[in-house]
Amino acid sequence: MSEPSVRNEIRRWRQENPAMTQAELARICGVTRQTIIALEAEKYSPSLELAFRLARALGRNLEEVFRFAEK
Amino acid sequence: MTSIHRRSLMLLCLAALGAAGMFLGPDGWFGIDIGPVGATVLYFALCLFAVHQSKHAEEAFPEDASYAERQAWVATAFVSLIYIHWLNFLTMLPDLGAVVDQISNPASRRFAINAGMTILVWTVVAGVLRSGNKDAVELDERDLRVQHDATRAGSALLAVIIIGLITALAMLPDLMSRWLRPLIVANALVGLLIAKTLSENMYTVVRYRRGRP
Repeated sequence: MSEPSVRNEIRRWRQENPAMTQAELARICGVTRQTIIALEAEKYSPSLELAFRLARALGRNLEEVFRFAEK
Repeated sequence: MTSIHRRSLMLLCLAALGAAGMFLGPDGWFGIDIGPVGATVLYFALCLFAVHQSKHAEEAFPEDASYAERQAWVATAFVSLIYIHWLNFLTMLPDLGAVVDQISNPASRRFAINAGMTILVWTVVAGVLRSGNKDAVELDERDLRVQHDATRAGSALLAVIIIGLITALAMLPDLMSRWLRPLIVANALVGLLIAKTLSENMYTVVRYRRGRP
């Protein structure tokens, strides 16, 4: 799997809310917990739709959660 | 290694012994046909393994393996077994003489029984995994992306094998003509489909493994 050029702050924003576990975020976004684990480890770049859902679930703007990393 | 892992390993060793006996077949061991006994041991061990793993599912797979990844591991194991059955079957065909041109011959009956038993155990194991899945979501976009890439990889491999076979036919006509009989060719096509499925599952397992933190 190639290194994603989209970096994210999912873990940081999720840990700001103690009730927001990986399982809870996965349930809200309709994905598996393993996908949240892969996203937080930046081993997977989400689709635009999932990126919006994640940002909404974390109560942030898309730009606060995701940023494009120039290689 | 925990006692659960030790028991799993013992059952897999027993299954491997059964498989070895099954593939030796007639006159395989001091002139004794231990094929049916080997097959019974293999499937008995696999059934026990399935029950054992279902009781300790959390220990059987890595904690961060998704449902789709677990199913891919199981599929890889069982399709590998079917592929080994098929390879064993294919190597027997040229030596069967005229019988090989009949749809029902001893080799094909044996392959059908072995493949059928494998699929039956696979269905049970897949059902056990499904019932133990605690996630509300079985497949998400990441799983679908991996599946899509696996299908592409499988199709690419299939194309390579077909081109290889055509080249072999053109370059080694004498060697290949031994295999050019309608039912052998039909069985070879079945084998290609099994190889494609196996490569897709192996690709899926590797992709999940590499995508793990």
